[in-house]
Amino acid sequence: MKTFRKHIYLIAGLLLLGACKPEINPVSPSKGTADFSKYISVGNSLTAGYADGGLYLEGQENSYPSIIAKQMLAVGGGEFKQPLFSADQANGSGYLRLAGFNTDGTPKTETVTSNLAIRGQIAIPGFGNVTLYNKYTGGEFNNLGVPGIKLQQITYAPYGNLNGFYERMLGPAAPANTESYLDFVTTGRNFTFFSNWLGNNDALGYATSGGAGDVLTDKAVFEQLYNLLINSMTASGAKGVVATVPDVTAVPYFNTVTVSAVLAGVQKVNPAVQALYINAKTGSGLSDGYAPRAATTKDLIVLTFPTSKIGQVVDSPAGPVPYGLTQYAPIENQYVLDENEVTLTEDYIASYNNTIKTAAAAKGLAVFDSYTFLNNVKAHGLLVNGISMSSGYISGGIFSLDGVHLTPRGYAIVANEFIKAINATYKSSIPLADITNYRAVKFP
Amino acid sequence: MKKILLLALAMAPVLSFAQGFQVNLEGNKQIGMGHTGTGIAQDGASVFFNPGAVAALPQNYFQAGISPLMFKSVFNPAGTNEQFHTADKVAPPFTFYGAWGPKAAKWKVGLGVYTPFGGLTDWGTTWPGKYTAEMLNLKAIFFQPTLSYRLTDRLSIGAGFVYNHSSVDLTRGIPLDNSSGQSGQAEIKGSGKGYGWNAGIYFKASSKLTIGFTHRSEVKTTIKDGDAIFTVPASIQGNFPSPNQFTASIPLPATNGIGFGFYPTKQWTVALDANLVGWNSFKALSFDYKNNTTALQDTHSPRNYKNTVSLRAGAQYQAKPDLALRFGGGYVTAAAPDGYVTPEVPDASRVYGTLGLGYTFAKHLDVDVSFEYEHLNSRTQTNIETQLSGTFKSNVYIPGISLAYHW
Repeated sequence: MKTFRKHIYLIAGLLLLGACKPEINPVSPSKGTADFSKYISVGNSLTAGYADGGLYLEGQENSYPSIIAKQMLAVGGGEFKQPLFSADQANGSGYLRLAGFNTDGTPKTETVTSNLAIRGQIAIPGFGNVTLYNKYTGGEFNNLGVPGIKLQQITYAPYGNLNGFYERMLGPAAPANTESYLDFVTTGRNFTFFSNWLGNNDALGYATSGGAGDVLTDKAVFEQLYNLLINSMTASGAKGVVATVPDVTAVPYFNTVTVSAVLAGVQKVNPAVQALYINAKTGSGLSDGYAPRAATTKDLIVLTFPTSKIGQVVDSPAGPVPYGLTQYAPIENQYVLDENEVTLTEDYIASYNNTIKTAAAAKGLAVFDSYTFLNNVKAHGLLVNGISMSSGYISGGIFSLDGVHLTPRGYAIVANEFIKAINATYKSSIPLADITNYRAVKFP
Repeated sequence: MKKILLLALAMAPVLSFAQGFQVNLEGNKQIGMGHTGTGIAQDGASVFFNPGAVAALPQNYFQAGISPLMFKSVFNPAGTNEQFHTADKVAPPFTFYGAWGPKAAKWKVGLGVYTPFGGLTDWGTTWPGKYTAEMLNLKAIFFQPTLSYRLTDRLSIGAGFVYNHSSVDLTRGIPLDNSSGQSGQAEIKGSGKGYGWNAGIYFKASSKLTIGFTHRSEVKTTIKDGDAIFTVPASIQGNFPSPNQFTASIPLPATNGIGFGFYPTKQWTVALDANLVGWNSFKALSFDYKNNTTALQDTHSPRNYKNTVSLRAGAQYQAKPDLALRFGGGYVTAAAPDGYVTPEVPDASRVYGTLGLGYTFAKHLDVDVSFEYEHLNSRTQTNIETQLSGTFKSNVYIPGISLAYHW
C-alpha cells in the first residue's frame, strides 16, 4: 500500500506537469513615437462603415477606424465612440442583402426596409430632396466619416443640409446647418492621432455615374483643399495616417457586368449580334463630347445596369430598334464608364494621389496606399490565413453587395494595412487584427 | 448576366502529415531509455524495435502498455501579441506484444500491435488558423506477425509483415458565412489500410556489446471512400455536394535504424540508436473527391518533406534484482521544410528526455512506468499554401505504463 501511495504522488506529479502549456512571449506592443490616446477618423462612407449600399449598425460596428481603435487599445489607445444607430433602428438607411441565386448562378439581392432610422425628407431649394435620419444623441464621438462626402465639399458651410448622414451628426436640423465639415472635424476635438481617407468620391462620383451624373473635382481645387485639411489636422501637433484614392477599376462595381459577358448572353439568343453599342466619350479630355460606337472590353459597364434592357425595342431617330445593339439606341452614358472616361478618371486619381502623398510627406504622416494595395488584390488576389480572396463580386469576400464598399472582412484587411503603415512610420507595434473574426458576404 | 463565379470560394480541406505524426512510444522499458531498442533485447517490444532480437530474448513475453500523450501547442500570429493554445486532449498510443518459442528452440514467433503514427490536435473553431485546420484525430494501428530465427549463438534475424489500419477525422472551417455570420465547416472522416514489413538483424559482438540493424518499410496507406461533409449556407450547398466521398493516399515513411547496446557492468545497460526516416517520400498530398464542382476541386498540395534523423541514447541501472531505473533522451530533426509547416502538427526539430522505472513482481511480471517530455523548438513560419503566419511552439507530455508477463 505504501508503494501505491508513492505511485499516486508520482502520477499526480506527472499529470500536473502535463497541465503546463507552452508559452510564447512576444515583445509587448509599443506606441512608438505616436500618441494614440485620442484617435479620430475623417473620411467618407468607407470610414463610416457603409456597406451593401447602406449605412447600418453592423457595418458601423465593423468600420475600419473602429477596428484600428480596438487594436490601438494595446498601445495606449483610448475609447473610440461611433455615431451608431440604435439597436431598434439597426438597419439605418436600409441595405442590400443576398436573397439567393438564379439558376444561371447570378445573385438575387433584396433591400432591407425594416427597422430603419429614417426620420423624414426635406426639399432643399436648388439641390433636391434630402433623406433625414434620426439624430445621433450619444455625445461626442470619434468616427467622423460621412457617407457621400467629397473633399471638394469640406469647406461648404451649408453642407449639413444636403447630406442626411452629416445632418444626423450635427446639432441643428436641416436647413439650419452652417458648420462646414472642415470646422466639424477640427474644432474642439483635442485629438492626438487621426486618420484621413477623403478624396474617393471626388473621382468615384463621376465614375459610378458612368461619367454622366457627376463631375471630377478639379485637380488644383483638390490640392488646395487637401493641404488646407492636413494643415488644420496637424496644426496642434497631432500625428496621423492618410490613404490614397483607389483605382476605380479595382472595384467589382465596374468589373462584374462585362461587355463580353453581356454580349455572350445576347449571342446565345441571337448569334447574329456582333457588338454592343454604347454612347461613349470621343476623347479623354474634359470637354470631349459623346458619340455612339461599338463597345470594347476596355469599356466598363456598371454593376447596376439592368441587363434586361438589352434588345428591348425602343424608339430612335432611325425608328424602332433594339436597345444597345445598334448605334441608333446605344447603352446610355450613365451605365458605362467608357475607355476615355476611364483614362480621364485615372488621370485625375493619379493627380489626387500625388497631392495626398506629397502632403503626407511634408508632415511626416503615414500613408496607406490603397491604390496600390487594391490593384495588387485585383491582379493577384489575396491569401490570408487560409482564406483566398479577390476583387470578385460576392465570391471575392472583400467587397460588399454594392460592389464598392467593403465587407467586415474587407474593412479588417484595410484596418491592418492602415496599422502596418502607422507602425512603419511611427515605429509603433499596434497588433494586427485577426481578419478571420470578421465575416465576408452573408449567404442565405 | 451578373455572372458570378463561385470559383475558388473555399479551398477544400487538406490534410498533412508531419514528423509529429510519428509516435515513438513503442515500449515502456524502451521509452524510459530514450526510446532506444534497436541494439538491445529488452522484452517483447523487440517485435517492433528489432524483429531480429526476438529470437535472442531469453524468455517468452506477453505484454501490453499505454502511453497517454498530451500534445500542447501554442500559436502566436505574426504581428500580434496574442496566443492561441490547443485544447487539452489525450491521445492513447498503446502497445501489445507477444513473443513465444519453445525453450531452447532457435526460433520465436511474435505478434505486435502498436501505434507508430497518430495525432490529436484541437485548435478549436475560433483561432486565426481555423480555415486551415480546426481539429485532427489520426490513428494508425499496425498489426505485425513476426518470425525470428537464431542463426548462431551470436546472430539472429527476424521479419514481420505489417498490416496498417488507419482512421482520420479532420475538421476545418470554410470561409463562407451564413445569414447569421457563422462560417461553414468541412469534415473528412474515414479509415483505410496499408501494408508493409519490418525486418532486423541482431548481433552479439561480445558480452559487452550488441548491435542491431532494422528496416521498417514505407506503408502506403489509402483511405478510400471516406466521408466528406460540407456544412455551408443553403444557397450554395449545391457547390459542395454533401455527403461526398474522398480518396487519399499517404506514404507513412520507412525507417532505417542502427542501434548499439553496451554493458559496462552487470548493473548498467547503455543503448544508442540512430534512425533515418524517409519523409522525403511525402512529396505531395492529393485529395480526390467523388463529386467535383467548380468550388470543390480535387486538391494537390505539395509537401516536399525532407528525411529526418533521430539520435537517441538511454541507460538502465539495475538497482536491485527486481528494480530497474532508466533515463534517456534524444534529438530529432524536422521533416517539414520552411513554408510547409501546418498547424495539425506544427513540425519542428525537437529534443526530449525520458525517465523510467521497472519493477518485477514474483520474477514473472514486470511493471514499467515511463515519462517523456518532448519540446518542439519554436518555429516562425508563413505557410506557402495558406499564408498562415506566426510562431508555433509545442510541448509533449507522455506518462506511460506497461505490464509484461514473462516465462
